[in-house]
Amino acid sequence: MIRQYAALLRNAWLVDLQYRASIVLWLLWGVTEPAVALGIWWAIAGDGQIAGYARADFARYFFALMLVNQLTIAWDSWYLDGWIREGELNFRLARPLHPAHEAVAENIAYKARTASVILVVWLLTSLVWPAVRLPFAPARWALTALAVLLAAAMRFFISFTTGLFAFWTTRASAIMELHAGVSLFLSGRLAPLALLPPAVAGVAAVLWFPYMLAFPVELLTGAAQGAAVAHGFAGQLVWLGVWVAAYRFTWTRGLRRYGAVGG
Amino acid sequence: MPPAITADRLSKTFQVKVRDPGLKGALLALVRPRYRDVHAVREVSFAIDAGEIVAFLGPNGAGKTTTLKMLAGLLFPTGGRVEVVGFRPWSGGPEFKRRIALVLGNRQQLVWDLPPEETFQLNRAIYGIAAADYRERLAELVALLELDDLLQKPVRQLSLGERMKCELTAALLHRPSILFLDEPTLGLDVTAQEAIRRFLAEYRDRHGATVLLTSHYMQDVTALASRVLIINRGRLLYDGALAALVARIARTKRIELVLADGVTAEALAAFGAVKSFRFPNAVLEVPREQAAATSARLLAALPVADLSIEDPPIEEVIRLAFAQGVEEGE
Repeated sequence: MIRQYAALLRNAWLVDLQYRASIVLWLLWGVTEPAVALGIWWAIAGDGQIAGYARADFARYFFALMLVNQLTIAWDSWYLDGWIREGELNFRLARPLHPAHEAVAENIAYKARTASVILVVWLLTSLVWPAVRLPFAPARWALTALAVLLAAAMRFFISFTTGLFAFWTTRASAIMELHAGVSLFLSGRLAPLALLPPAVAGVAAVLWFPYMLAFPVELLTGAAQGAAVAHGFAGQLVWLGVWVAAYRFTWTRGLRRYGAVGG
Repeated sequence: MPPAITADRLSKTFQVKVRDPGLKGALLALVRPRYRDVHAVREVSFAIDAGEIVAFLGPNGAGKTTTLKMLAGLLFPTGGRVEVVGFRPWSGGPEFKRRIALVLGNRQQLVWDLPPEETFQLNRAIYGIAAADYRERLAELVALLELDDLLQKPVRQLSLGERMKCELTAALLHRPSILFLDEPTLGLDVTAQEAIRRFLAEYRDRHGATVLLTSHYMQDVTALASRVLIINRGRLLYDGALAALVARIARTKRIELVLADGVTAEALAAFGAVKSFRFPNAVLEVPREQAAATSARLLAALPVADLSIEDPPIEEVIRLAFAQGVEEGE
């Protein structure tokens, strides 16, 4: 398996090299959204606080969000949708390797490249802008790494599973768009969850959205403490389990339905 | 030795959503979806021995590719039983997949932006091919398919024929014993088609592989396949040698003539049905059993410069087979 991953990663990197410009564009897109959100909250916060967030807290939150989002983002549903509808899944199914491994390898290759750029940008920014500096807390960073890994796995399975809806419908990517739209609010991309109206926060709390982004971000900035950390990890594990089960169910059922386009 | 491939009353039914045209139809389909069963493959049975090259023939939508995909384990059969080299393809897992290769003429596995050698290396890792084996097999395939100059060029710069050669290489590095080829020569020029055919025959001879192919090009079939399976509307119409099919279906033979001066179409009509007449060439169609006698009479009665007896073109035989619906074992 290690050799297979090494080969898959190598190819993913080589392909990425061919598309340097588009990777830069995706990276810019990933940075722009939190930067805009930060600008807005920075202006609104002024010299005061909103739900416990002062300007510097917003700055740390959205810098952490940039990094965590880049490390956990998954776009596999778009690929899968195409593979299934256009018959590209055929040769992948004929190989003695589950097609998901190729997707995972692409995820790793892309994230390693883009997230390292963001990390460097963050470090350089922190030299001149003290607000975005994090306290030195290696234990917390290690926990964050674990939370990021769980969040990345969950987002991967969500994306992969919704992509598999293409076995049944031609609108799989629309479902993913809907999910992305909802997650904009409920996962903490536009604002820290503490700022959500209580009703919306109540909905978010019983769904998986906070665990895919907000929790690892708050763990990194230090906003999540004590019981909230344990609660966050428990939520991540439960929802990861749910989505893995959903993936297994969808994959097995979907393959049986598969029409293997092209003839 | 048991057959390499066995299909026993293999069937596949797809459920297809039906909707009436227009906005009303679209809305209705949303509220109350209706489905129709499409029987793509109906109770098809055959057995193929190791080392055979067998061609699937049939019009578009006949069920050829669906059958091929069930044999390769991509599609779940609705009914019947299928066994390929001792495996149930659907549940055969990686062990089964290491024994087969699937090449689809209209879909490629080569990574578009990279030279083909990168895909080969990837497959080396995926199939766990030892370095020495990889070098030896690649060298063999490169020589057989004349790939020397292509290995370093990005796939997107290769011609269709060059790409198909590389596709075959990628698919055969793990030296599969069963090859499923769906339209392997689709869209290729004559030279490239011939190169692929020569290669497939050579590969089979060297490694004893079993080859199942679908093709629209009769040349592929006549040059490669010792046996054909004719399938139409999901049913197997014929299973046997091509020559035997021609003998069964084609009740006529064609006498192709090159005539000397003074022969008219009317004069020829006394000997058989004149299929074409463009002086000095003419084609007569006569009942199969009378071909020899008629030829002798023609030679005696008319100034004939050249004469040959041929079977009707294979395309016509196949067309007749579909029209008459030759049943297996009829």
